[in-house]
Amino acid sequence: MVLLKTPPPHGGNLVDRVVRNPDRAKKMADGCVAFDIKPTMLDGVPIRNVYREIMSICYGFFSPVDGSMVRNEVERVLEERRLLSEWVFPYPLVFDISEEDYKSLGVGEGDRLLLRLKGQPFAVLDIDEVYKIDPVDIATRTFGTPERNPEVVKVPFDKKHPGYMIYRSMQPVVLAGKYTIVNEPKFRNPFDKFWFPPAKCREAFKEKGWRTAIAHQTRNVPHVGHEALMKNAAYTGDVEPCRGILVNAIIGAKRRGDYPDEAILEGHAAVNRFGYIKPERHMVTFTLWDMRYGNPIESLLHGIIRQNMGCTHHMFGRDHAAVGEYYDMYATQILWTKGIPSFGFEAPPNEVDYGLKIIPQNMAEFWYCPKCQEMVYSETCGHVDMKQKLSGSFIRGMVAEGIFPPNIIMRNEVYKAIVKWWKVYGYPFVNPKYLEEKDKNLEVDLPPMEVSKG
Amino acid sequence: MIKMVHYIGLLLDDSRLEAIKGTGLEEKLTTLFGGQVKQLIMEVPEEVSKKILAEFPNARIDSRSFLEDLPVAFKRALFQEVVNKKSLGAEVIEAVFQKIDEIKDLAAKESEYIPPPDIDTSEI
Repeated sequence: MVLLKTPPPHGGNLVDRVVRNPDRAKKMADGCVAFDIKPTMLDGVPIRNVYREIMSICYGFFSPVDGSMVRNEVERVLEERRLLSEWVFPYPLVFDISEEDYKSLGVGEGDRLLLRLKGQPFAVLDIDEVYKIDPVDIATRTFGTPERNPEVVKVPFDKKHPGYMIYRSMQPVVLAGKYTIVNEPKFRNPFDKFWFPPAKCREAFKEKGWRTAIAHQTRNVPHVGHEALMKNAAYTGDVEPCRGILVNAIIGAKRRGDYPDEAILEGHAAVNRFGYIKPERHMVTFTLWDMRYGNPIESLLHGIIRQNMGCTHHMFGRDHAAVGEYYDMYATQILWTKGIPSFGFEAPPNEVDYGLKIIPQNMAEFWYCPKCQEMVYSETCGHVDMKQKLSGSFIRGMVAEGIFPPNIIMRNEVYKAIVKWWKVYGYPFVNPKYLEEKDKNLEVDLPPMEVSKG
Repeated sequence: MIKMVHYIGLLLDDSRLEAIKGTGLEEKLTTLFGGQVKQLIMEVPEEVSKKILAEFPNARIDSRSFLEDLPVAFKRALFQEVVNKKSLGAEVIEAVFQKIDEIKDLAAKESEYIPPPDIDTSEI
């Protein structure tokens, strides 16, 4: 058997568009017209901040994407889920502004725009193209329709789908071109502890001797079912189980009822800090992204991010990155098992040209079996009629009532991470107030930077 | 026509277990997850569950016929009345409905604030 090794970045090279030399950064920013980044709003609540996309692009999480996409690239992504360079990519990524802002900026193709965040210079956008979009059309084609994508889309997307509403709420003018970060943001506690951009993550893998690593996607505080999933999925590998488990949390605006990002990160960290999975084999990281809940489409992005971070494998569960019943509950597993032709995949995304190298590990469920007296894999245990499921709503109900979950459901220390941030925000879950505060404070602060005005 | 019965599960942690000590309700405990989760299950006649669903639009009946997604204020009041009346009978829900306006006020505030439990989180 061939021993696996760390896969190359998607597209061949990691994108690194961060200028770390202050003089060079200042030269790039001096004299530019400036624009303060605004969140995408829905009913007065921020649901996306494009700064997260700029960070993920410039630090290489979304390699080979290096900026806001030109019109032809958006079309190619929507039709075939491929960039103009042929590499597979799932989502249109654009820098969108209102007509009024476009008029008042007075910029066009060939201009450099300085993007400010929290009142400080943050990045520049070298404008290659300016064009208009129809946000409803982009939203509909991004996620698919029952008519166009009958293999996996069950019902039309609507206002209840948070990812669909992100695209629908975008502004109509797109400034396309490469981003470059000119003033590196500093992550606040606790995010600073978990910031491992792909290049740094790959270095960490080398130091740890992680020849193989399996990625665990999360937008949740881990319960013991998640822990069982991580431990068991890691038994895949080559001649030995995967050497590492990379938890990569998606950090950004989320739907109401999810857990706050800080609790998600510290909850996962508690799993290794308190030895439920030893830290030599388990590492917690995050990616900035306002989750689109796109099930199979989102799984492609997850595969790209984690391959860029150096993972050989990726676990995919039922209802992966899903909300509601828009997609078939096995849509992601169908994609990674046989492909979804209507989304441009006649074969799984790791078996097509310019596709991914990461290996999928499709997993079913874990539940408690009172007969076996342990957490069991649904496809292995024979006592199906006795199953006791660890449902998210059951645990959320327990948490909301302030009942200390027993260790067999959620580790004590993980629950304490929830309570720690509950005390800060006065609420255990994401609510409009949390989203507003999050958009005001973001995950970062920016150092002061003087630039001359344009 | 056969009348349906629904259920409400009241989960019990150590402090709630302590609260029902000596009430006779200990004998009615059921367990999940190898005995680590203890709960009291209340039977709720269909007409009462309809009344509850009408008061709390986010509540729903799950595939096990359990009323779920009830406001925390309602569940806390329910448990308090279970302790007060030492019963899981219909009079408990009746007593809770006596205070329904107050509970609804609290429930409305639950999307803004839920008091956190008083536990030490300094090790995190």
